[in-house]
Amino acid sequence: MTANLTAAAEDPHAPVLRVRSVVMRFGGLLALDGIDLDVVQGERLAILGPNGAGKTTLFNVIAGDLRPTQGSVAIKGVDCTLLPSRHRPRLGVARTYQKARSFPGLTVGDNLYLAVVGKRGRHRSLLRTATDRSWRDRAVEAAEAVWLGRQLDTLVGALSHGQKRQLELGMAVVTDPDVMLLDEPASGLSRGERERLTELLDELAVNATLLLIEHDMDVAFAVARRVVVMFDGTTIASGTPEEVQHNPLVHEIYLGTGAA
Amino acid sequence: MSRRLAPGGTVAFVGLLVLLLALPAVSSSYFVDFVMTRTMMLGLAAATIVFLAKYGGMISLAQLLFFGIAGFMYGNAALESGARGLNLGWDPWVAVVFALGVATAVALLLGAIASRTTGIYFLMLTLVYGVIGFFFFAQVITISGPGGVTSIAPPDLFSEPVRLYYAGVVLSALAYAGFRAIGGTPFGLALQGIRDDPVRMASLGFNVPLHRTLAFTAAAFVAAVAGLLNVWWNGQIDPASVSIGPTLVLLIIAVIGGISYFEGAWLGAFVYLLANNYMRQLPLVDRIGIREDRFNTVIGVLVLVIMVLSPEGLAGIAAKAGGSLRRTGRRSPSGPSAAAGTAGERTEQPDREPARTTGTGEPSPATPTTKGTVE
Repeated sequence: MTANLTAAAEDPHAPVLRVRSVVMRFGGLLALDGIDLDVVQGERLAILGPNGAGKTTLFNVIAGDLRPTQGSVAIKGVDCTLLPSRHRPRLGVARTYQKARSFPGLTVGDNLYLAVVGKRGRHRSLLRTATDRSWRDRAVEAAEAVWLGRQLDTLVGALSHGQKRQLELGMAVVTDPDVMLLDEPASGLSRGERERLTELLDELAVNATLLLIEHDMDVAFAVARRVVVMFDGTTIASGTPEEVQHNPLVHEIYLGTGAA
Repeated sequence: MSRRLAPGGTVAFVGLLVLLLALPAVSSSYFVDFVMTRTMMLGLAAATIVFLAKYGGMISLAQLLFFGIAGFMYGNAALESGARGLNLGWDPWVAVVFALGVATAVALLLGAIASRTTGIYFLMLTLVYGVIGFFFFAQVITISGPGGVTSIAPPDLFSEPVRLYYAGVVLSALAYAGFRAIGGTPFGLALQGIRDDPVRMASLGFNVPLHRTLAFTAAAFVAAVAGLLNVWWNGQIDPASVSIGPTLVLLIIAVIGGISYFEGAWLGAFVYLLANNYMRQLPLVDRIGIREDRFNTVIGVLVLVIMVLSPEGLAGIAAKAGGSLRRTGRRSPSGPSAAAGTAGERTEQPDREPARTTGTGEPSPATPTTKGTVE
C-alpha cells in the first residue's frame, strides 16, 4: 500500500470516512435526509437500497461530484465537503461509476495510465520520462489484475460491457487507493461475470477500505462485512449481512418485494 | 489512435518535406507564392482547429481572431509611420515577440472563460470572441479602424517571398510533428480523456478547466504564428480579414480536409486555394453559370459533396483509399481539386494595396474587395 499520508488524521482511530448529517436537495426533491456514516480503515461496507433511495447521490457527495446542501464529509480527518472531486485521488480515494465512465477514444493502457497520472501528478507534462515508464508498468500490472492484459492496446470503445466494468475497477485499483467507492460494479453483468467480479474484489481490495453500492445481494453479501440499507434518503438499517437479511423492516421495503 | 507516425509515415513525411522544400526550383513562383505559401499559413491556422477538436473535443471559431490579433499587433508595433495604427516603430523581431505575447495573453484570458463550456456553447462563445474581435479592430481607430493597417513590411529575413514560403513549410512541419507528438504525452492524453468524459477526468484528479485553457492558449499561439506569416505575406491587415466570413472559411478548410486529421488542415487549405486561384481558368466555366462572384456557392457545394462522400473530409477519403494516409492525402489534391475546379474564384487574400507583385505574368487572383464576403 503506497498510502498517501499527507492528510493523515490526527487521531489514528478516527474513521477514514466520516459523513455527518448530510442533506442533499434537488429543488423540491429531498434526495438525502440527514445521513450519518462512519467507515473505519479496512472496512468493507455495502450500501443497499431500492432505486431512488439516494445511494448514488450519497456516493457523489462523498466523491465530491456534488456539494451537499447541508452536512459535512471528512476523509482521513480532512474536511472535504466543499473540496472539488479532483482533490479526492490525492487523499487516496478512487471511485467507479454505475455506468462505466472510461475514455472510449483511448486504449485500455492509456485509460489506466491516466488514472495513475491523475493521482500522482505531472498532469501537464509534455515529456515522457522514466517516471512515466514506471507508471506505464503499473498500468500493465493493473490491466493484468483485472484480466485485461491482452486488451492493453484495444480502444475502450471496442470493449464489451463486462470488460468495461473490469476496466472501471482497474482504474480504481491502479491508483492504490485507501478508499474505494464502487457504484454497482456488477450491474449488467452475467452470472459468470459477477462471480469473477466477486473474486476480483476479494483479491484486489485486500487492504483498501471498500464502499460498495450493489443491487446484487450475492455480490454484496459475498464482499461486504457490514451492510447499510438506505430508503428514501435515510439509512434504515445497519449491521452484518445476516442481521440485515433478517431485519423485518428491510424485508418489507426491500427484500419483501422480491427485488433481490 | 494515429498518435505516432508509423515508419512508413515518417518516410512519407520526410519525403513530402523534401519535395515541398524543392518546389520553388521547379514550380512557377506564382504557384509557390499564391497557392503554396498561403496553403502553409492557412493550413497552420486550420491545424489549430483540428488540434482542439481532435484532442479536446472543442470546435473553436476563435482561431482566426488570434491569427488576426498577431497581425494587427505586429503592424502596430513594427511600423514607424503610416496612416493608421500606433506606429511604434519597434524592431521587427521585438514586434514579433510582442504580437505573439499579446495574442497568447488574450487567449489565456478568453480560454479561461471558454473552458467552462463544452459543445455548442463553446462553439458559440468562440464565435462571440471572433465577432467582438472584429468590432474591436473595426472601431478602435487608434489600433486599426475599418481600413486596417497597411504597408507592413516583414523582417528583412523574409523580404523575399520564397523565404516566407520556406518559413511556412518549416513551421508547418514543426506544428504537424508537434501536434501529433503531444497526443502521446501526459498532457495530450489527459486532453483526450477530457474530450471523452470531463467529469471522470476530474474524479481522477485532473483540473479540467485549467487543462482546456492551456490547450486553447497553445493553439492560439500557433494560430498567431500563422497570423504573422499572413501579415508578412499580405503587407496589410484589416478588420474584414477577421470577420465572420473568413472565420467560417477557416473552419471549412479544417472540415473539408478532415477535422480529425492534422494533415487534413493543409490538404483543405490547398484545395481551397487551388479552387480560389484556378477555377476561373477552366474552359467554359462561365458558360455554366459559374462566375467569380459565385465562388462561395461552389465552395458550399464542394463541402457538401465531400461531407456526403466522407464525413472525415479529404484526409478521410485518402485514408479510406488505402495506403499511407499522409502520402495519399498530400498527393491526391489533383484528384479532389478536379471536382473543385469547376468554379469561379474568390478573394480570400485581402490585398487591397498589394505591396508586392507576384513576379509572374499570371493574373493575380486578388481583386480589390475585402475578403469578408462569405455568408
